[in-house]
Amino acid sequence: MESTLEQHLDDTMKNPAIVGVLCTDQQGHNLGCRGSLSDEHGGVVSVLARQAATLTRDPTDLNPTVCLESDSGNILIRPHGTITVAVHKIAS
Amino acid sequence: MGCCYSSDNEPTEQDNDERKPLIPHPNPDKPANGTERSPAAPPSTRPDEQALLNTILHRTAQSIIDVSAADSQGMEQHEYMDKARQYSTKLAVLSSTLSQKKPAPLPSLTSQPHQVLASDLIPTADLLQVSKIAAYAYSAISQIKVDAKEELVVQFAVP
Repeated sequence: MESTLEQHLDDTMKNPAIVGVLCTDQQGHNLGCRGSLSDEHGGVVSVLARQAATLTRDPTDLNPTVCLESDSGNILIRPHGTITVAVHKIAS
Repeated sequence: MGCCYSSDNEPTEQDNDERKPLIPHPNPDKPANGTERSPAAPPSTRPDEQALLNTILHRTAQSIIDVSAADSQGMEQHEYMDKARQYSTKLAVLSSTLSQKKPAPLPSLTSQPHQVLASDLIPTADLLQVSKIAAYAYSAISQIKVDAKEELVVQFAVP
């Protein structure tokens, strides 16, 4: 059943600028990861997304994207429904 | 636990006074007389009630232990000074060790914050790409569900 998700993660990694991708559930449990993002990042990713959502009262802005910017690239964290997806992208 | 004042050499008669019940065990005869008398002649029971109340008050006053009025053990001046000196030296020792445990300061990310803040924003294309990836991942995960192939509860065929 998880083959669709695994395939989707592989397809995402085919993009040359993306070096890591991670899917977690709301408790930080790792549902799938590739590249530079792994199990240990699951907790932080889910909590960051959840806390960022509390910053705004705007009901249309329920899924804010959290960006961690650095010289070596950006990690973009986006929740969707009950899962949170993190993508590590380097400057290309 | 919970004892404000106690000493080992309490006299036994004080013990007995403390442990004497406030309300004595009622005599089985008295209540029957009281219920018979009260509906018949109310004025004559009033002095009895008054006397009973007085005895109860008297007994309570005798056996009550007033904690607030108890004389507290005063400390002598030299004992007080000694203790104050002892505590202040202990505090001085502890404060010198405590002051070394400062919380770790936050790491400084950059020496040029205005340059970082004025730099380019994340490109919108990246944000859209990430939301698309998240949406696809969510739909892929929704395919993970329980696939009930057969009944879990079966009836035993009892002949």
